[in-house]
Amino acid sequence: MTLLLKQLFAFFRMLNSDTGHNQLAAGLSCGIILGFSPFLSLQTLILLFVLLFFRIQIGAAFMAAFFFKFVAWLVDPLADALGRAVLENEGLRPLFVSLYNMPLVPLTRFNNSIVMGSMVVGVLLAIPAFFIFRSLILKYRATFVARFKETKIWKAWTATKFYAWYTTYEKLYL
Amino acid sequence: MTKADNTAVPKKKKRQGPIRWEAVLPVVVLVILFSLYAKFFMDTHLRMALQWGLTSAMGVQVDVRELETSFFKAHMRIAGIDVTNSESPMKNSVSVGEVRFGMLWDALLRAKIVINEAVVEQIEFGKPRPSKGWVKPPEPIIESNEPGFLAKEGEKLKGQALEKVQEDYNENVFGDLASILAGTDSQVQLSKIEESLASKKMAQELDTWVKGKQKDWETRLKTLPQGSDLQALEQRLKKVKTKDFKSPQELQDSLKELDGIFKDADAKIKTIEAAGKDLDGDLKKANADVKALEAQIKADIKALETRFRIPSLDPKALVAALFKQYLDPYLNKFQTYRALAEKYVPPNLMKKGGKEADPAIQPRPRASGVSYEFGRPNSYPLFWLKRTAVSSQAGTSPHAGNIKGEILDVTTNQVLTRKPTIANLAGDFPGMEIRDFSTKLTVDNRGEASLIELLLNVGSYPIVGRDLIKGSDVNIAFDKANGAVNVQSSLRALREFELRLGNQFNNVAYNISAKNEVVSSLLKGVFNGMPAVTLDARFSGTLPRINTSVNSNLGPELQKGLSREINAKIAEARAKIEAYVQEQVGKTKAQIDTEIAKLRNQVDGEVKKLQAQADSKKKEVETQKEKAKKDAENSAKKGVENEAKKAAEQLKKRLGL
Repeated sequence: MTLLLKQLFAFFRMLNSDTGHNQLAAGLSCGIILGFSPFLSLQTLILLFVLLFFRIQIGAAFMAAFFFKFVAWLVDPLADALGRAVLENEGLRPLFVSLYNMPLVPLTRFNNSIVMGSMVVGVLLAIPAFFIFRSLILKYRATFVARFKETKIWKAWTATKFYAWYTTYEKLYL
Repeated sequence: MTKADNTAVPKKKKRQGPIRWEAVLPVVVLVILFSLYAKFFMDTHLRMALQWGLTSAMGVQVDVRELETSFFKAHMRIAGIDVTNSESPMKNSVSVGEVRFGMLWDALLRAKIVINEAVVEQIEFGKPRPSKGWVKPPEPIIESNEPGFLAKEGEKLKGQALEKVQEDYNENVFGDLASILAGTDSQVQLSKIEESLASKKMAQELDTWVKGKQKDWETRLKTLPQGSDLQALEQRLKKVKTKDFKSPQELQDSLKELDGIFKDADAKIKTIEAAGKDLDGDLKKANADVKALEAQIKADIKALETRFRIPSLDPKALVAALFKQYLDPYLNKFQTYRALAEKYVPPNLMKKGGKEADPAIQPRPRASGVSYEFGRPNSYPLFWLKRTAVSSQAGTSPHAGNIKGEILDVTTNQVLTRKPTIANLAGDFPGMEIRDFSTKLTVDNRGEASLIELLLNVGSYPIVGRDLIKGSDVNIAFDKANGAVNVQSSLRALREFELRLGNQFNNVAYNISAKNEVVSSLLKGVFNGMPAVTLDARFSGTLPRINTSVNSNLGPELQKGLSREINAKIAEARAKIEAYVQEQVGKTKAQIDTEIAKLRNQVDGEVKKLQAQADSKKKEVETQKEKAKKDAENSAKKGVENEAKKAAEQLKKRLGL
């Protein structure tokens, strides 16, 4: 829980800093795929390893996964129909037969209509979402954060002893 | 330190690459922790989860003593499985010494479970438990007046209750026979019936109706044309001139008068005819009501026979009553397993559909979608247990037996494996004196409709102290006997069920007791003369409705033995009931019969007499009319002839002839 909260705080800190916009966008995009994937499946495990070993913002990924889990639940009927259409496609049948009888691949549960439909939706959304999130983050920093830092409230806050103490602590330990 | 000092020394951050190297250590720590958990705690937790799952599913306590897993070998060993007996919680229904199996990693990597060989060892039945096992209490029955689903459930329960009452009645057949044999007059205390009989009420109503009709007819008869009216017609008729008409006008007047009399007579006849028709209708209704009353009297006698439990000596009913207690536990067990199958077998297999909508608002459940199987020849199905070797050795415990057998091809997809599931088990339990036990179970899902067949034979098994009839009047039990059983059962499409049970009981020693000495000696005489008893039962139908048919050689023998003694008593009781009903209703019925006969004779005779008189008057008028017409014709003819004769004579005179 502490690790998770730490990651979430890191997400907000990074969002309001000047660096790491690619990490944040990649994290949010991975979160989309995570949200659309079943919890107990091979693709979830692989994504978790990717998040762990590559410098992708984990807090952003978990936050996006949490949000997109609800979206996935709402679009279940659509995902089911899409999955059926894909799995029943005669042209793809030999591919699915090979994948189904291959080691490891069936652990993704791709043969389930909702999993397949959600996977297609998730992957298709994740790629454009990366670029959209990146541009939104840059815009947010250029407009909202810059303006907020010019406000009197922020300036008064930065002048407090507590803020000074916090920045020192951040530099030393975080 | 000042603020300037803080900002003056900027700490240059080291540029970080795309790989998070610092995460390696935490991951390694996590893997080590998980491995340690798997090594020291996972088996215990799995064992507890298995115990909890099996207990919840079966509704009785299931204990698992040991569970061992090996990740690298994909191997599992479960030892000491004890399933509590729901009817006797201090005993296990079945205990299994050890189950072990290894899964194929090749299949596991493909998300499938394939077991080449599993081993089941040391099976015991009825082993005592060290402590009382938990048994799920029965579900409480919710009482409600709400319509819809709950009302339907209520109706179902009501139906079941009615069936139970019927069953209870069957169960008491022997008690009733004993009461009759003992000559218990208190049973036929008819005078204690407070409410009136339906036939009595009906007879009273009919009597009132007949009396009312009698009055009506008396009044109506008075309004009908009487003899004086007909005589008046006759007088009028006599006055009419029917001959020697002097002029055509005279003839015309007579004919007019005769027409008037004819019309009057016709009107009177029509009134009498209408009365006759109404009378016929009333008499017909009275006859029908009398017939209905007779049927009601019969129904009342039958109802009283049932009420006072006058038994019938039908051999089938006797056998059903005799073996009901013996067969009930087996039927209950079957119903329990059927309910379990209903609960856990997937809906598409059980064709469960058509579930009643819950009136309460429910959150939308996460859809499960459709899982496709892209199998190909020789590929793995989702689950395949190729062979289970079952072996058990007697001697270690008195509840263990010598069992040898195998279960082949348990799978989720028989179409892919192209093999049905077959279980063959044979052996005996010397400690429990069960010998020559063999069973063959076949489950074939390859066709459109699944077929499950079971053949079971037990060459010999002991029966000690088994109650057949246990009541306040009569107790009949197998004190000691050797049984042999043969079962053939099939279940098609998980709905069409058939089970044939052939039971043979040899060297039977009975334990018979009855309150009444006569009954006791009679039953002992019948039963002790039959050391070998057969019991053939057939249960068939579409689930959950099962028709039962039970036959035994005891039935006809019992009927023969009992009929001599009991028929006279039954006839006596029946006669008493019949006499009572006749006493209550017969008098009124006889009165009704007399009244109807009186009505028929009196009114019918009167009406017929009047009709005959009116008819004769009508005929008379017609005759007179004809006579007048003929007379007028003859007079006219004669006049014409005379005129012709006169003219001829005048002509002769002129001609001088």
